[in-house]
Amino acid sequence: MYLSEEEKRMLDDNRCPGRRRALELLVRLAESHDAERLVPVSYAHVAYDFCPEDFWNSMTEGVHGTPHRVTTHPSFSPEIWEQWGLPHAEAWRGEHERKLKKFMALGWLRTETCAEYLLGIFPHKGDIVPMAGSCMQIANNSLFGARVDRMGTLPSLAAAVCGRTPLMGLLLPENRRADYVFELEDVDVTDWTPSHYHCLGYCIGNRVPGYRVVAVNGLPPNLPFDAARALVISMPTSGTIALAHVVGTTPEAPTLSAVSRGDASVNLIKIGKKDLQTTWEMLNFQDTDRVEHVALGCPHATIDEIGRISALLGGRKIKTSLLIGASAPVEALARRQGWAETIEKAGGRFLPACPSIGNPFTRGDISGDKRAKSAATNSARCAHYLSSVSGAKVFFGTDEDCINAAVTGRWKGEPPTW
Amino acid sequence: MVIRAHRICGGKAEGEAVVYQGLFSFLGDLDPATGRICLPRHPLEGVSVAGKVFVFVTGKGSGGSDVALWAAKKKGNAPVGIVCRESEPVLSGGVIAAGIPTVDRPEINIFERIKTGDWVRIDATEGVIRIGGASR
Repeated sequence: MYLSEEEKRMLDDNRCPGRRRALELLVRLAESHDAERLVPVSYAHVAYDFCPEDFWNSMTEGVHGTPHRVTTHPSFSPEIWEQWGLPHAEAWRGEHERKLKKFMALGWLRTETCAEYLLGIFPHKGDIVPMAGSCMQIANNSLFGARVDRMGTLPSLAAAVCGRTPLMGLLLPENRRADYVFELEDVDVTDWTPSHYHCLGYCIGNRVPGYRVVAVNGLPPNLPFDAARALVISMPTSGTIALAHVVGTTPEAPTLSAVSRGDASVNLIKIGKKDLQTTWEMLNFQDTDRVEHVALGCPHATIDEIGRISALLGGRKIKTSLLIGASAPVEALARRQGWAETIEKAGGRFLPACPSIGNPFTRGDISGDKRAKSAATNSARCAHYLSSVSGAKVFFGTDEDCINAAVTGRWKGEPPTW
Repeated sequence: MVIRAHRICGGKAEGEAVVYQGLFSFLGDLDPATGRICLPRHPLEGVSVAGKVFVFVTGKGSGGSDVALWAAKKKGNAPVGIVCRESEPVLSGGVIAAGIPTVDRPEINIFERIKTGDWVRIDATEGVIRIGGASR
């Protein structure tokens, strides 16, 4: 594999062992995918708190900063968990604080969100941004036209440390055309909520047998942001998709022919009522109607989602715990709007952290015997991970279904008729 | 029987095969504390991949799958080797970081040749899979 003079120096530089190890890891990853070389990044995004501490220390040893911007995924929040009386919060504190201290010393930006584009930090078309987090990868690729390959949490730290990433996969324009084209049949999308789009995305992820590019054709043009985002981000939960062109909505796909391979190798798959019914059923992992917890904001809430939640809550009080994942700036806007107060008065809580994989209310290793054993959500991704990572009984439905469940403690959501 | 394949992470491994003809995420599908497949209603729910040669199509799901694989390896609950049809980058980065010998792109349809319970040896550095001939 070709290495530039600067990269060769990084590999030989024993004063900066972290950067040397990071580059070695990237070279091995690049070689395993037959990449010709590494390329410089526009900026990089890590998930520092999800990195095992030994790996974090190994990659950052001797590194004192980077010339490029580095941002981060949500972290854990042991300090807030403790204020909320979650029994095992203290056990998480030391490691979190050590990593955060180093993160800040590196001069990196504490964005702590999986929806960084809502902060005004998003790639321009063609920007190369290695990043942690499959849902931000697919959002930045699909909705903004960035060049982001699928990448794990560990190599994304390596890429951030060196400012390099392998030239492979979706960084190469010839790999960005759709292998699969999905179209709806016998369904009417007129009244669809974002939850319906979550369901469609999860369904599509299940139908593609590997790391492939898809196009979704035939949806109304210029889909609202929340709908388009819900559609694409659900795909890398059930599947391996990191780029989904939504024809008529996403920047690379004004038309199907602009993104389709246009030859016999393209697979056309029709999705009908029955597929969506089955998927909706798959996302409901419950065997009771009791709901102890409601998780919203997965991925981190847009201001519109918070507005919908606030309107649905009105002056009501909730019986369950209610967690809304949102970045600090979006929460601040909701507060100026008066919506955060409405939600908090009802009993809801904001957390600039992960409400699915890292949900402190459902994870036994955080909430111990206070753990919520059943949870409702409006996100397919969240339903999947609350069930698998936390072992919770999960209900999936619309915003309205979820808020009703929070108020009554019971699930009354009915599957859509499509 | 000898099958040629492509190296993702070098090294040698051998063990009993667990075969799953689908996509797999080490985050969510596997409980790192036990090495068992834990996703409710997964076709292999309850099956352990700890110490096994895990044969599946490719990775899927969260970019945190590599961290889950790393955690499973630390606890001795990871597969000893992996064979897949075509490794995707999250899986590749995970096995390279955790040091789990892995090959992909086998020259034949691996799902027709390897069955769960078969003894499988991998020399990932050389890009070779051997079925049978247990050296237990």
